Amino acid sequence: MRKKYVIIKVFKMDERGVKLYQPDAQIKKGWLSLWRQMFSELIGSRELIWRLFVRDFLAKYKQAVFGVAWALIMPLVMVGVFVFLNRAGVINIGTTDIPYPAFALLGLSIWQVFATGLTACSNSIVAGGSMVVKINFAKESLVIASLAQALFDFLVRIGLLVVVFVILRVVPAWTTLLVPFALIPLLLFTLGLGLILSLLTALMRDIPHIVTLLTTFLLFLTPVLYPVPQGKLFAILNRYNPLSTLIIEIRNLVIVGRITEPLRFMIISLFCLFLFLVCWRIFHLVEPRMAERV
Amino acid sequence: MASGAVINVNNTSKKFCRLLRRSMQYGIQDIALNTLGLSSQSQKLRKGEFWAVDNVSFELKKGETLGIIGPNGAGKTTILKMLNGIFMPDKGTIEINGKVGALIEIGAGFHPMLTGRENIYVNGAILGMSKREIDKKFDSIVDFAEIGDFLDTPVKFYSSGMYVRLGFAIAIHCDPDILLVDEVLAVGDIDFQNKCLNKISEIKERTSNVIISHNLNTIRLVCDRCLFLLKGEQIKIGDVSQVLNLYPQYIFGHDQDERYKSEHLDFEILDGNQLPTSKLIVNKEYHLKFTLKQLLAREGLLVAFSFLNLTNNYTQRIEIKRFSHIKNKIDSFSFTISFKHISLPPGEYTIKLAISDGDFLKRIFYLDRTLVFSVEETESSKFLDYVITE
Repeated sequence: MRKKYVIIKVFKMDERGVKLYQPDAQIKKGWLSLWRQMFSELIGSRELIWRLFVRDFLAKYKQAVFGVAWALIMPLVMVGVFVFLNRAGVINIGTTDIPYPAFALLGLSIWQVFATGLTACSNSIVAGGSMVVKINFAKESLVIASLAQALFDFLVRIGLLVVVFVILRVVPAWTTLLVPFALIPLLLFTLGLGLILSLLTALMRDIPHIVTLLTTFLLFLTPVLYPVPQGKLFAILNRYNPLSTLIIEIRNLVIVGRITEPLRFMIISLFCLFLFLVCWRIFHLVEPRMAERV
Repeated sequence: MASGAVINVNNTSKKFCRLLRRSMQYGIQDIALNTLGLSSQSQKLRKGEFWAVDNVSFELKKGETLGIIGPNGAGKTTILKMLNGIFMPDKGTIEINGKVGALIEIGAGFHPMLTGRENIYVNGAILGMSKREIDKKFDSIVDFAEIGDFLDTPVKFYSSGMYVRLGFAIAIHCDPDILLVDEVLAVGDIDFQNKCLNKISEIKERTSNVIISHNLNTIRLVCDRCLFLLKGEQIKIGDVSQVLNLYPQYIFGHDQDERYKSEHLDFEILDGNQLPTSKLIVNKEYHLKFTLKQLLAREGLLVAFSFLNLTNNYTQRIEIKRFSHIKNKIDSFSFTISFKHISLPPGEYTIKLAISDGDFLKRIFYLDRTLVFSVEETESSKFLDYVITE
């Protein structure tokens, strides 16, 4: 009789703590116990994630004269260009509830959590270099630490936002305090995609190019730098772009003071959670396969 | 698992792919299958794949030290990575009972921009230590690594020795039950190598160790048993001296011969009485006699040879001799290199010989690792020959 073997990563711990490594773990290992193992590994990696984050942070800014300011320069330049194009009449942004520079900067800051996060995540395994193939540790840590980097940049940009809001005399709604919670689906979405892309990047070096291309195009196809246009074409595009909803609603929390489409936001949040769990699971299953080819 | 065994490797194999593109393709294929919950059929070889480790089995008990030897590409590191759980075997099983600490590449995970101090914390965390644990062992790590004033210098300014010392110091302090050491100590100086070996011997009681080394002396010193691999296959496992005696014979294809004969070259070592020998004694007289046959050198013969110490892979000396008058077809040409007092450090040696046409670029014949001879010390060694008087 042919035995059916499934899955690769295999960590069968018996009560004495014996680890068993073998090809394609048995399916009887259990669906739930694998989840349990994933969570316990993640919790066990907290310290490591923090250290990796600090490491990348220090390494990034140590030898840079402008240091953390680099997190501000890119959105400032981008918004500057759009303000200019708008004023010069090259493009027509339409009216925004708050002065355009504040509006654009807010949208872009939220967008950058996704864009820089995804780029950093997908490069994280390859950037980990030899430690990935020479040391056994939960590789998720590398990806999560990269996302934390993007979050830190976001915090820095909040500082800039505060300054711009004060200068332009914009008063944010009290619901701004809910933004950290509203960010969670966006982070899960980014992390989920990031986990899968980091694996694929290890196998195929085409991925970073694709990610750059995608984030650049999506930036213009998502209402980040402009308010939602009324056209029918855009409505369709918007419906199938989860990023649109996530970014619009987070921005609404600051500007409007409420989530305009709570049901839609809820569904998309659940979708993000589901996506993350599926991607994480796949990552966990195939990670040793990747280690032998990276 | 048998009682007392901490590592049980059972008919384990691992395959790799030679070609990058195909490896990519197989990788995606395997990942897709596994994602769908199907077996990747890893026990079968696909086109372009080969067994890097082929059907290896051994057991290690608590407190035992196993040495793994074999030429490059024998599968030593692959076994270590499987023991560490970085790769899964493609056939067979591996059981591990205890916390594994691996020194497969020292300083993997070091960030060049960070200081030694920062890297201790990062690397410690990667190896599974908590901050409190590292705080507690910090001084001991710094002390062992002997990096002193460089603690707050970015590690990219470290010498390679310091780099290795720090890496080893961190890894050894994570208190593993099973310590895996790849050939990583070779970079440090003799002092530090000794220190590491002492440390390994010191913790030997509590841990089980698997050590890869090309330095057979290291194996002899610290290991209880030895595994000899060749092209992924397990040639022999057992008592250290027994396995080490087998080594040259397998690597060079035959037992220690006194002469070497081939189509283009005859070579023998003659002692002071013109008798062939393969055992040399330090400070005695020897002649290396080479006879070249059936070679074509248009622009004059150029001969370069060196002694290669097989124990530590050091090239001991390189000699170059130009025979400008020997040109065109060489039917038979002999030359002898004579040593009045051979002064090579004791050990196993082989001769590397390159014959070129006019200059080094036009090499016409190359001999490497074929004839093995040993150099032994007599009671009077040059290095120990001293007197202290008042």
